Amino acid sequence: MAESKVKLGVADVVAEKTIRHEDADPAPWGLDARLAVVGTEVSRVDGFAKASGAARYAGDQRPTGLAFARIVRCPHAHANVTRVDLDAVRTMPGVLAADETGGRRKTYAGAPVAVVCAADERSLDDAVAAVRVSYEVLPHVVDATEALAEGAAQVDPKRANRGDADGRGRGGGPAGDAQKALDEAELKVEATYRTQVQTHVPLEPHGSVATWSEDGKLTLWCSTQSVDAVRNEMARRFQVPAADVRVVTEFMGGGFGCKFGPDPCDYEAVRLARATKRPVWCMNDRREEHLTGGFRPDSVQKLTLGGRRDGTMTVIAGECYGTPGNGQGGAGAANTALYDIPARGVTQFGVSTFTAHGRAFRAPGHPQGVFALEGLVDEFALAAGMDPLDVRRLNDKHPVRRLEWPVGAKRIGWAQHRRKVPGSDRGPVKRGVGCAGGVWYNAGGGSWRIDVAVARDGSVVVRSGVQDIGTGTKTVLAVLVAEELGVAPGAVRVEIGDSRFPPGPGSGGSTTAPSVGPAAREAGVRAREGVAAVVAAAWGVDADKLSFAGGRVRGPGGKETTFEQACAQLPSEGLSVSGVRRKNYEGFSGTCGGVQFARVAVDVETGVVRVEKVVAVHDAGRIVDTLTARSQVNGGVIQGISYALFEEKRLDRASGDMVNPTFDTYRIAGMADTPEIDVVFMDVANGINNVGMMGLGEPATVPTAAAVANAVANATGVRMRELPMTPARVLAALAAARGGGK
Amino acid sequence: MKAFRYERPTTVEAAVRAHAGGALLKANGIDVLDRMKERLDQPDRVVTLVDVPGLDRVERRPDGSLSIGAMTTLATLAASADVAAACPTLATAAGQAASPALRNRATLGGNLGQHTRCGYYRFASFRCFKRGDADCPVQAPGGVQEPAGIFGIDLCACAHPSSLAPVLAAGGAVAVVASAKGERRVPVAALYEPPARGKASDWVLGEGDVLVRVEVPPVVAGSHRVGYEEVRQKAAFDWPLVVGAVWVAARDGVVADARVWLGAVAPSPWRAEAAEKALVGKPFTAAQAAVAGEAAVAGATPLPGTAYKVELVKVVVRRALVAALERRS
Ligand SMILES: Cc1cc2nc3c(=O)[nH]c(=O)nc-3n(C[C@H](O)[C@H](O)[C@H](O)COP(=O)(O)OP(=O)(O)OC[C@H]3O[C@@H](n4cnc5c(N)ncnc54)[C@H](O)[C@@H]3O)c2cc1C
Ligand code: SF4
Repeated sequence: MAESKVKLGVADVVAEKTIRHEDADPAPWGLDARLAVVGTEVSRVDGFAKASGAARYAGDQRPTGLAFARIVRCPHAHANVTRVDLDAVRTMPGVLAADETGGRRKTYAGAPVAVVCAADERSLDDAVAAVRVSYEVLPHVVDATEALAEGAAQVDPKRANRGDADGRGRGGGPAGDAQKALDEAELKVEATYRTQVQTHVPLEPHGSVATWSEDGKLTLWCSTQSVDAVRNEMARRFQVPAADVRVVTEFMGGGFGCKFGPDPCDYEAVRLARATKRPVWCMNDRREEHLTGGFRPDSVQKLTLGGRRDGTMTVIAGECYGTPGNGQGGAGAANTALYDIPARGVTQFGVSTFTAHGRAFRAPGHPQGVFALEGLVDEFALAAGMDPLDVRRLNDKHPVRRLEWPVGAKRIGWAQHRRKVPGSDRGPVKRGVGCAGGVWYNAGGGSWRIDVAVARDGSVVVRSGVQDIGTGTKTVLAVLVAEELGVAPGAVRVEIGDSRFPPGPGSGGSTTAPSVGPAAREAGVRAREGVAAVVAAAWGVDADKLSFAGGRVRGPGGKETTFEQACAQLPSEGLSVSGVRRKNYEGFSGTCGGVQFARVAVDVETGVVRVEKVVAVHDAGRIVDTLTARSQVNGGVIQGISYALFEEKRLDRASGDMVNPTFDTYRIAGMADTPEIDVVFMDVANGINNVGMMGLGEPATVPTAAAVANAVANATGVRMRELPMTPARVLAALAAARGGGK
Repeated sequence: MKAFRYERPTTVEAAVRAHAGGALLKANGIDVLDRMKERLDQPDRVVTLVDVPGLDRVERRPDGSLSIGAMTTLATLAASADVAAACPTLATAAGQAASPALRNRATLGGNLGQHTRCGYYRFASFRCFKRGDADCPVQAPGGVQEPAGIFGIDLCACAHPSSLAPVLAAGGAVAVVASAKGERRVPVAALYEPPARGKASDWVLGEGDVLVRVEVPPVVAGSHRVGYEEVRQKAAFDWPLVVGAVWVAARDGVVADARVWLGAVAPSPWRAEAAEKALVGKPFTAAQAAVAGEAAVAGATPLPGTAYKVELVKVVVRRALVAALERRS
């Protein structure tokens, strides 16, 4: 074990800390670390491949002899399959296989009933259209509140739709005596906040191309957030050793949490490839993706926030539920996160409905919980007669977020905007600003290995099984290794997303970069030491007297050479080294903060809300690549605006089927809806791992909807407690407020 | 999509002949391909107009009127100086529709002929009166109503998707349609018919009918004024929630004639006659514009989920009239 003194902190909150770390692990970078590449703007190493179309995603794979498969799905929310007629289909031209997927009772629209495989896409389309299925349609319910009613159809015949109360919720479980605190509160605000079902809509849907070799080995190009999990699951399901399964995800078109394990399309690709002895392609189409690919559960949050007249919040309590679809878990909303509220008593439960499966979605529970919490904080501030920003700063103990509030406020022009009386702008368009915060928990972990190989020609290759789901993982690995070798990131080749390489983590919880980054840095250090050793021997100097920078190696006495020439000294097989992800140290902060400020323009005659600007102030420990990090925040903000204003999975109650399962009917924020986004990073020397990096993907989307809603309230004087804020809802809220004021 | 034969005639006459006998007519296919992929249409033959020369032109005639070929794209309409001069609201409506990429492909003929975007219509697993079922699920309990209409929705509740049709109808434009019997002229105001069971398309054109061009009378400076207003939830890549297009002839500040048309509020483009009546014979002022806006919703029978469109109609009519009033032409 080694001990290193490291300067940790943010801005002028600095403390020197002694960190005990394993000898092999380089000491964490402190505030004063001088870095050449880390923290600069580095373009995505695979950016050109992606932008030019050269990148080949799972569904782009075309092994010879490829056959195509598609799943036939149930159009009813609840039905018994009484007959599936596949005989005629099997004799159609090009058809290779047509099978039932099994199970009689279907409990969501989109549930697989059969699968057809054909030699080409056109034959497949004709064959699928010819499948005839008879159903006995059964009663159903697709809305959480309706599912709670007496006599509602039960998803699981053996248990009520209402799940067990889960007091833990998300973002901070029960604490203190909530009832007592409510009784004692000087001020209380009580309201019900509602959020909608949002689907993930990754540009690349779920799916795989599978092929079996003659000796029983499986290769699977799969769109997944966990190469490792898919490999293990396929090995288990198809009863082959994991070593005989190769999963490849070289490029990935987004997942947002819905792609951790195989979906029916992935299993069917593998099964049919084995049965037909041909490679098989099976990807969801957009409608299947919307219907079955996962969603963020909706929420009904009946909450009371109480506190003192001086703005101190003392209690949050209430009830919160939503539907995670078929199951009961995973619908919690993080409405107790962020602030130091001593008494918390929010009861949460999930409600089963006859809809597909809700799945983890970019900061599960947080955008919806923070929408309610931060709305209530504004309402509380109004009741206390205080500036909502002052209330937040008074109650916020987070070491980084405390510093972020004033930064964001200044950049949005808080003071100037808030001076205005809400709704007092002349003309129908009213402007206003609002803010909200977020919290996130992950600095990564695990014991993942990263391999680095340096060849005699100076080429550097980094290898790991980890996938890049679009967040920039490849680039982050290149940057960290390049930093240690003193070369340009472009000179480092990154080969990932292949289960032949050392296993990597699943991409969830914003842990990918911080889980593999520190191992990459360690591997980079090992590689530098390896090159340094041979150069030092050749020059007859001490290895630790060498410096690596700007693509050159320098030594005492003016000795200097290029990195490539230095590598020529390596043995013929080059250099192969590894780094390992060590345990996290106790750093400056175990969580990330993040605050966002929005400025909106609301046309009070049409109800149309336009977001004009978002200031997003975030921290994620050390920012390794400012460009990919900013890209994460841009994406999070856009997705948050989309959640605030547009997205909504709309189910026809009578059939339980979705009426807007396409890109043109499921509204998503596009270019023209995207405002100016001002991204600011708080550089935190965290020391939580050797890089000091934490996760950023999820926190970036947490505060947006709440900030936009608070801005709408500031603009119009009317609070929106339901998402999305459609013109219909905004007009209704304005009319209700006018009616109430009479 | 079912396999089909693709025919590419090079004259209007050949297109008319090919179209007769169960073929599906395709312009640039934005709508047609969506319908074919979902097997709402399963034609054996698809006849395209892309190879017929001369259909993609805008011409300004000596009398100042416009002749717009059916294959003219919305991007061309939006950028044309002739359109801007003779019917500026058409350029505005075309320039705000859909998205830049779509406008480069979307044709005028296809825009007028596009089928409803009602989600129930678009997927065969739902029931739909327009597709032949006995009733309309939008009006049934639990139906998703927000995109639907507020006028004339007793049989089919859908909202007509074209934002150009109300502009052309208000402007007194005439569609020139070729058929085996020769050319006929149909005012755009009479181009659409009420919903009928099993009739998917909204307009009067049938088999063997090919829209050749649309003729738009000029907006005469000093005598005519036009205005256009739409409400969009998303700024692009979406259809408007409500459209209002107005044409007003005023003399000495008094309205002599007025045409007020609405889009996305009824199964066809909707003429707001009560609003027209509220204008004629009255001074053309902002105050009167508001009165006309209120009048425009006469006869509305909104569903609970479409009540907001009643408010939007009042706003777009008033704003379109005010825009007309303020426009210097
Ligand atoms: C995301 C999205 C957003 C959109 N937003 C808007 C909007 O804001 N406002 C708006 O008005 N529209 C909007 N549209 C619709 C778009 O303008 C139309 O789909 C397009 O104009 C169709 O043109 P096309 O050439 O592709 O037609 P096609 O798909 O080829 O044809 C459409 C229909 O018209 C018929 N047809 C075409 N030409 C002729 C002809 N010459 N004679 C007889 N029949 C003909 C065809 O038979 C077919 O039934 C949007 C579309 C999309 C996908
Ligand atoms: S509104 Fe019209 S198009 Fe939609 S389902 Fe009803 S009948 Fe069909």
